[in-house]
Amino acid sequence: MNKIKIIIRREYLSRIKKKSFLVMTFLGPILIAALWGIPFFLALNSESESKILVVDTTLYEKNGVKSSLFLNQFKNNEGAVFEYSYDINEAQAKLKNKEYDAVLEIANTNDNPPIKCFLFYSENEPSIQTQENIKSQLNQIFKDYVLTYDYGMNKEDLNLFNNPRIGFYSKDLDSGTESYIAVKTILGAISGFLIYMFIFFFGSQVMRSVSEEKTNRIVEILVSSIKPVQLLMGKIIALALVGLTQFLLWVLLSGVLIGGIQTLYPQTFSQQNTEKFVSNERVVNMDAINASVQENQNTNEIISGILSINYALVLSMFLFYFIAGYFLYASLFGAVGALMDVDTDAQQFTLPITIPLIIAMLCFPMIINNPSGDLAFWFSIIPLTSPMIMMLRIPFGVPVWEILLSMGLMLVFITGAIWLAAKIYRTGILMYGKNITYKEIWKWFKYKN
Amino acid sequence: MILFSTKDVSKTYANHKALDKVSIDVEKGSVFGLLGPNGAGKTTLIRIINQITAPDEGEIFFKGEPLRAEHVHNIGYLPEERGLYKKMKVGEQAIYLAELKGLKKSDAKKRLEYWFDKFDILNWWNRKVEELSKGMQQKVQFITTVLHEPELLIFDEPFSGFDPVNANLLKEEILNLKSKGATIIFSTHNMESVEAICDSIALINKSKKILDGRVSEIKQRFKNNEFEIVIPKEANIRDFLIQGVDLIDNSIYNQTSVSRLSIEQGRNADLLSNILKTTDIISYKEVLPSMNDIFIQTVSHEQD
Repeated sequence: MNKIKIIIRREYLSRIKKKSFLVMTFLGPILIAALWGIPFFLALNSESESKILVVDTTLYEKNGVKSSLFLNQFKNNEGAVFEYSYDINEAQAKLKNKEYDAVLEIANTNDNPPIKCFLFYSENEPSIQTQENIKSQLNQIFKDYVLTYDYGMNKEDLNLFNNPRIGFYSKDLDSGTESYIAVKTILGAISGFLIYMFIFFFGSQVMRSVSEEKTNRIVEILVSSIKPVQLLMGKIIALALVGLTQFLLWVLLSGVLIGGIQTLYPQTFSQQNTEKFVSNERVVNMDAINASVQENQNTNEIISGILSINYALVLSMFLFYFIAGYFLYASLFGAVGALMDVDTDAQQFTLPITIPLIIAMLCFPMIINNPSGDLAFWFSIIPLTSPMIMMLRIPFGVPVWEILLSMGLMLVFITGAIWLAAKIYRTGILMYGKNITYKEIWKWFKYKN
Repeated sequence: MILFSTKDVSKTYANHKALDKVSIDVEKGSVFGLLGPNGAGKTTLIRIINQITAPDEGEIFFKGEPLRAEHVHNIGYLPEERGLYKKMKVGEQAIYLAELKGLKKSDAKKRLEYWFDKFDILNWWNRKVEELSKGMQQKVQFITTVLHEPELLIFDEPFSGFDPVNANLLKEEILNLKSKGATIIFSTHNMESVEAICDSIALINKSKKILDGRVSEIKQRFKNNEFEIVIPKEANIRDFLIQGVDLIDNSIYNQTSVSRLSIEQGRNADLLSNILKTTDIISYKEVLPSMNDIFIQTVSHEQD
C-alpha cells in the first residue's frame, strides 16, 4: 500500500507541476466563460440587423378603403428593420447602392397562392433567421387582417387569440411536485457530458502515461520494485485526483471570472437578456406586455424547476458514475497503453474502447426525447454506456431496481476490467518490438502470474 | 554459503516453453554469469528472480527462505531494456526509484550524494534526464540499481549499449561491489567479460540449463590436452614429434616458432626431453579452452 502512495504522489505532483496543467487550469475557465458569455454578447450585438425595404403592391379593403395590406405593419426587431417604398425599380436601385440589405416585394397574383413575396438581395443573402422572421411576420399580418376585417375582432380579442392564456404543467402523482422538463434535461445533459469529458480526457491520459513508461523502458525497473497492478492502479488513482483538482480549480476560477464579468457589465446579463437567449423565437413575435408576463412566468418556472430536483440523489449518483465510469475506462485505457510501442500502432485497440463512449454521446438526443424508452433502459444498464446515459435519466426519475441493477453491473464490470487490464498490462509492458495482435493477447490470459 | 537458488523452475508462455526445470545455485559474494544464446530463456529467468513474472513450477530461495515480495528490497536490477523518465530531474528521479525500493527519502538523498560525488556528477542533480547524453544516463541507471545496497544485484546484458569507458567503469564497479560482499548475477553474450569477472556460470540453451559450475572447474573439464610450445625459429618442431603427439598448427612469431600440440597423457616428459636434446624451450604451457570456445562447442553440440 505504501508503494502505491509513492506512485500516486509522483504521478500527481509531476502532472500538477506541468506547464500544460497550469495553462489548462487558467485557460479552461476562460474557455468555459467564453462558451457561456459569447452567446450573450452576440445576442446583444445584433446591430448587424438587416435593413429591409418593403415594396407592397397589394390592395385590400380596410374599412371601405383600399390600401396596401402590409404597409407599415412590420415590426422592427433585433433581426430586421423595415422601411417602405412604392417603386420596385427605385427600391432595387437602392439595394444595388447598398442602402438596404434586401428588398421585399409583395404582390397580388391571380395564381395560387394569391399573394407572392420575393426577397431580393445582392451579395449577402439574409440569414435564415431573418427570412423566418419576415415569413412569420407576413403570416401574422395576414391573419390579423383576416380576423379584424373579415371576422370583426377588436384588438383585445386579437391579442387573446394570438396569445392564449393556457398553462401546461406535468406533475408527479406520488410527490405532487411539478416536473420541469427543460431543467431536468439540462441537468442530465450537463452531468452526462461532464462524465464523458472526464473519462475521455483523463482515461486517455492514463493510456499515454502507461505507453510513455513502456517506450521509455523505465517500466521494467519499476515493476521490479512494485507489482504491475499496483503501478497501474496508482497511476489511475493519481490521474483521477489530477482531474478532480483541475475540475475544482475550474469551478472556482469560472465562478470568479463569471462573477467578475457580471459585475463589470451588469446590464448585459440582466434578466431580459437571459430570457432572450433562452428563447429567441418567442421574443420575436410577442407584444411587449405579453413578453414580460411570459418572462416572469418562465423565470418562476426555472426557479421552481431547479428547486424541484432531488439533489442528494443526483449528486450521489453523479459521484458514483463519475468515479465508476472513470475507473472502468481508465483501466481499459491503461491496458491499451501497455500494448503501444514506439513502432506499433495501437489504433486498433483504442477503437473498441472509444466506440461505446462515442455511441453513448451520439445517443444523448434520443435519450433526452424518451428517457424511459428501451434504448435509454439498456444503455443505462450496460456499464460501458451507463455512466453517461444513467445521468441523463436520473433527473427524470428512474425506478430503484434499475439504478441498483446498473450500479451492481457497473461494479462487476469494474472488477472485470481491472482484472483484464492487469493481465494485459503486466504482459504488454514487457513486450518490446513485437506486433501485438488480438490473438496474441488472448494467449496472455493463459499465463500464470 | 548459497545466497540464492532456483530448483527446477519451469515457465511456459502459451505454446512456447521458456524455461525447463532450471536449477541454479549462486554463492554469496560471487559473480554468477548467466550465459546463453538469444531467446534461450535468460531474461525470463531474471524476471522470475525479480518477481516480475511467476514460474509455473519450481521453487526459488533467497537466503534459504522461499522468495517473498519484500525481498525486492534486497535485490537490485538493471534490465536489458532500461530507461528513465525523460522529463524528470535526475536527483528527484533517483530518489523516487530508491523510495520504491523501500529507502527513506533522507537516506536515499545521502547515499545519492555519495554516489553522485563519486562519479563526479553532482551538478546533474537538477537537470532533466533528456538533457543528459546516453552515457550519462547509464551512470544514473547504474546508481539507481545499487543505491539501496542490495545483497543481490542482477545485471541483464549490462555491457550492451554502454560505451567502452562506461563499460569499463561498470566492470570495475561490479568487482568493487563484489569485494564489499555483494552477490552478482549477470547475463551476457560477452565472453571476455565472463572470463574477467565471473566466478561461476550457468549456460542455458533452448530453455534448459546445459552446463554450470565454477569457471576454473569448467575450463578443466573442457581441456583437451592442448599445449603451446615456443622454441627458437631455427628449429623445426616437426623434427621432434614422437608417438602420441600431434601438431595442430605452427607459426613463426617474433623470431620464435610457436606451435600448438595435442599431447596424449603421459607423453609430455618424453616430448620435452626429446626437444631439449637439440634446442632450447622458450616457453611451454597448457592451453585451456576459452569460455567462448566452450560456449560455442556446447551450444552447437546441443543443436546436433
